[in-house]
Amino acid sequence: MEEREHVLTILKNVESTLKRKNYTKIKSLSNQIIHNASIHQDPDIISTAVIIYSLSKLLEQEVYKENRSWDNFYNQYIQHLKKAVQLLKKDDIAEFRQEIDLIRKLIQGLSGKLKDYIKDVFRKARINKASKIYEHGISMEKTARILGVSLWELAEYSGKTKVADINLAVTMPLGKRIKLAEEIFG
Amino acid sequence: MKNLIFDAGPLINFSMNGILPILKKLKKEFKGDFLITKEVYHEIIEHPQKIKRFALGALQLKELFDEGIIKYAELTAQQVDELRKKRNQILDISNSLYRAKGRNIHILDKGEAAAMALSLVLKEPTALVIDERTARMLAENPDNLRKILQRKLKTNVTAKTSNYKEFKYFKVIRSTELIYLAHKKKLIELKDPRAYEAMLYGLKYKGCSISEHEVEQLKRL
Repeated sequence: MEEREHVLTILKNVESTLKRKNYTKIKSLSNQIIHNASIHQDPDIISTAVIIYSLSKLLEQEVYKENRSWDNFYNQYIQHLKKAVQLLKKDDIAEFRQEIDLIRKLIQGLSGKLKDYIKDVFRKARINKASKIYEHGISMEKTARILGVSLWELAEYSGKTKVADINLAVTMPLGKRIKLAEEIFG
Repeated sequence: MKNLIFDAGPLINFSMNGILPILKKLKKEFKGDFLITKEVYHEIIEHPQKIKRFALGALQLKELFDEGIIKYAELTAQQVDELRKKRNQILDISNSLYRAKGRNIHILDKGEAAAMALSLVLKEPTALVIDERTARMLAENPDNLRKILQRKLKTNVTAKTSNYKEFKYFKVIRSTELIYLAHKKKLIELKDPRAYEAMLYGLKYKGCSISEHEVEQLKRL
């Protein structure tokens, strides 16, 4: 895995931040991974970012913690995450990948509303991370492919962000573009 | 004869905003073809048909395709070959244009590259209709794109600036400029005077990379 040390540092930070229950910090740690993911486009880094972001979203929502399956789900999530850190320390990428995948598969052991909710959190986490990568300057189609999300979902999500509102993104005076449109239709 | 080559984004955007009939009317006014590539067909029709949330939009686009409002370019076998070569060249050049941390940053995918390649293969005047930011910036100001990458990735990003020129031939308009034309040509059926503004914002919020300031400018034109 590219940038193993960086991902390891982030994961260790997640562990310590969890103890302090600083869920906003966990979200920002997932964004730090995404900076590198935009360059390397390594699926392992991207999956890790999605898992961390999902964790922060899951912890934000109190109501589902009352579900009887929650404690078991959360404990397994954390155990897999801890094991993933140990495997990454040993540079055992194949096993690390498997641990991250096991977190994703934890949903299969759930049922009812909690299952639907967590499934939705994972799906939205992928779209959120895709939107971040697009914001970094990678094309929408490329980003959708990297994250395995649909272009439709990504367009809908990123349209609500400020990605088009930064000055650098305005690359032609509007009048000139209008003239171009009129000429081609002329 | 002229051509408008559509990337997936603007068609998805028109569909999600429920304004595909305006595209039909624009086509009637246009002395040429609205073209798509096979890659775009996959993104706007084949793939979303399998997603419950987007299947309706995909079917509406399929109808547009079946009616010939949007269509594949009629290419000779030689042009098809040329298209593939040019698409791969665009991918190679764009995906090795910027570097960070000792690696090339892959910025484009084959759909966007194929739309660009098609505009090079066709002899007639063409413009690309692209809503997403990266491909448009690559064509119009690749150094601004480098600056965005550098700022967002929080690391030094270098560029093979001698290759910037490879993208300067592409002319890009967005879905919002099409709605501007529809407005000027009085093709918008909704009678409420706020409809034009609502459409511009609808397109922005479904992924057209236009700034709020530009939307406000368009409103006043």
